[in-house]
Amino acid sequence: MPPTVDYHCPCLSRSALPPPPHLPSSSFNFHALNELFFCEECDAVRCNRCVSVEVSGYYCPNCLFEVPSASVRAEKNRCARNCFMCPDCRNTLSVVPSDPPDPGDGRMAIPISTIGEPPFFLYCNHCRWDSAEVGITFEKPTGLAAQLQKFEDSAPDSLEFERLKEHFEPVIRASSLSSSTTTAPAAHPSSAAHSHRVRTNSITAAASAALARDIPGVGKHNPLARSGNRAGAGGNKDKTANQDEMPEYRSRVDVTSASKLGSGGGEIDVEYMRHLENVGEVASLEQRWMNSWATPLQAAELKPLRIPLHSKRSKRCPVCAHILIKPEQKAQSVRYKIKLVASNYLPAITAALPHQQDAVGDSSKRTLSKSTAAAAVAAEEERSAAGIHAGKTYPFHLALTNMLYDPIQVRLTVQRVHAPAALPPSSGRASPDKAPTTRRPPFAVSLPSSSFPIAAFAEAWEYEDDEDDDMFGLDDDDEFGIAGRVAGRDKDARGAGKVKMVGVLEKKANVTVVGGEVVIGKEARGNVKFNMLVSYTYRSDDPAPSESNDADGPPSRAAVANKPPEIKTFAFYTVVDLGPIIPREESR
Amino acid sequence: MDAPIYYSKTEFIETDTGNKVSRRATIAGPQNIILGGKTIISSNAIIRGDLRRTGAGHAVVISLGRYCVVGEGCVMRPPYKTYRGNFNYYPMKIGDHVHIGANSVVEAATIGSHVEIGKNCVIGKFTIIKDCARVADNTIVPPNTVIPALALFAGSPGRFVEDLPESTQETVEAQTKRYYTRFQPLDR
Repeated sequence: MPPTVDYHCPCLSRSALPPPPHLPSSSFNFHALNELFFCEECDAVRCNRCVSVEVSGYYCPNCLFEVPSASVRAEKNRCARNCFMCPDCRNTLSVVPSDPPDPGDGRMAIPISTIGEPPFFLYCNHCRWDSAEVGITFEKPTGLAAQLQKFEDSAPDSLEFERLKEHFEPVIRASSLSSSTTTAPAAHPSSAAHSHRVRTNSITAAASAALARDIPGVGKHNPLARSGNRAGAGGNKDKTANQDEMPEYRSRVDVTSASKLGSGGGEIDVEYMRHLENVGEVASLEQRWMNSWATPLQAAELKPLRIPLHSKRSKRCPVCAHILIKPEQKAQSVRYKIKLVASNYLPAITAALPHQQDAVGDSSKRTLSKSTAAAAVAAEEERSAAGIHAGKTYPFHLALTNMLYDPIQVRLTVQRVHAPAALPPSSGRASPDKAPTTRRPPFAVSLPSSSFPIAAFAEAWEYEDDEDDDMFGLDDDDEFGIAGRVAGRDKDARGAGKVKMVGVLEKKANVTVVGGEVVIGKEARGNVKFNMLVSYTYRSDDPAPSESNDADGPPSRAAVANKPPEIKTFAFYTVVDLGPIIPREESR
Repeated sequence: MDAPIYYSKTEFIETDTGNKVSRRATIAGPQNIILGGKTIISSNAIIRGDLRRTGAGHAVVISLGRYCVVGEGCVMRPPYKTYRGNFNYYPMKIGDHVHIGANSVVEAATIGSHVEIGKNCVIGKFTIIKDCARVADNTIVPPNTVIPALALFAGSPGRFVEDLPESTQETVEAQTKRYYTRFQPLDR
């Protein structure tokens, strides 16, 4: 497995320190860079788990029709047109005409109409299910949903739902009325906020009514009650006192006899199970899951389902409510009005093990020139040579790509895993991993400790051709190398034949390749994973984000010209996973 | 940093627009096939440009965009239908930055841009794949499926699994461009 680098998102936790990577649960906090967002206001990384999500539009995944949000509720989040899902395999169904009538004397059938013969039915291309098995046919090939509407409305589950709605509606209306009079005059919020507040206030009203009931003397708290409308407030008290009393609900059909109508449960199912011959006849859980009501137990009776709608989401920062992602109106457009993804701000880091790459490259060259049998043998050898063996030292490369339009200075630090044992952590020593309680990592990583610059991102043709392709170090690169090297290694870097391992290796366009070294202990097992803190500073010519940026347009612009470019620092944690360690076979 | 992917120089024909077509690929009806620049057609791929719809004049049967890669052993066939008693082939239009994995059978009607199709897939007839979608390896996509934008499809029959992250377009674009630069001839 090639080495990976994942980024840490603190997800609003108090400490910014990521968990140590040897814990299996630590992968929860680390994400790939392309999944992360960056909030400019808070200067923080956000991931998909901590952003707040809103729906910006609905569309049907089959016909790609954008459904306005009003119809979404009416159609119960399903497509209202001709999109149906096969109950067996969840594939979309296509409308097919019946075969034209056979003339009877072996001649080819005469097509009567261009669109085919009624009755039409639904057919699944994958599992060859068709709706004639459940008895659903159509007269016209279009407007299927309308044709099915009659059947759906008279189904027992929707009738039951209507009855429930009628039963609860006066109660909801009463509680919403009582809360709406309390919140009425003050500011005039938008209708959405108002309905939202009405909803929460019906909950709070119910809660306060329950409190008033339990604790005598605690009246209903009316912070926004106005002096007018006292009659309404007085009437409120009566209503809230009775709010928890509801008329008892009687379902339309008695539950014990409902099973005959297909709602499941009861004697019917037991009888069916007794005569079961093939397990496949029973509908699986997954097939019955999609319907909101109890679906028939038998697989042969499953009805085609309408395709549920998908939504386009816009995402906001949870702390400052700044919009991070705002998609375009058109359902199938991949562009975004606002797109603050982390890959545009944070440097992209990729890790590679050069010995692995060389092995792969050699094997591919060999397969090109050799015959297949010999190449397969060679490939096996290369694969074992490409792994990370215990007890050896390997250099690794980190390529950092700068996506900002300013050059940055980056500093890498390996996070030390805090050992609960009293033993002092040692950096260069190979540590035996016999006792699982000691948390000393079985490998030691050395990285250049001083900061190195990465050039700004620019279009490809703007780069001058200054490829410092230097394995032997140039003027300023050399000091990074010496400073970063672990003491005790050889000092002759310049042209003495020893390739510099640790330090800046290559600077090309906006990518800098940095070399590090990892020493694997003799008894090491598991993956070589370590946390790395990346901190970078950049000069930003943007003004500091001001709170009132709408009000002062021209004045702030004039102020910007006088402000010096400020140097901002940002730091984030990453976890570098170089791959599994091939343990040394013990010869006993 | 990127490991180059070598190919034998004699195996591929390179055109002036940067397309690299393997000599071992079977291209039928090349006059009906359009390749945008910098497209790679790997060995043993079969592209049926000869299955054109009936009618006079020049017809484009299969068109691919820029930076596309058709994997080894792929079969690309335009979809066909009998409509109103007539049997006809329909043209296949593929966008830019599309990677099709090895041994896949593609009979789709439209494939958008920045799409990644895995290995051993079967894409049924008249499938419409919108931009930035991804079809995982070993997926069987039944005919007449619509794969919405930024969707990940997997399984057999191919089902919607999850939405891809918003930065997929840049990621796939960078990946395909990098692949093209890594695809270098090996001088023997």
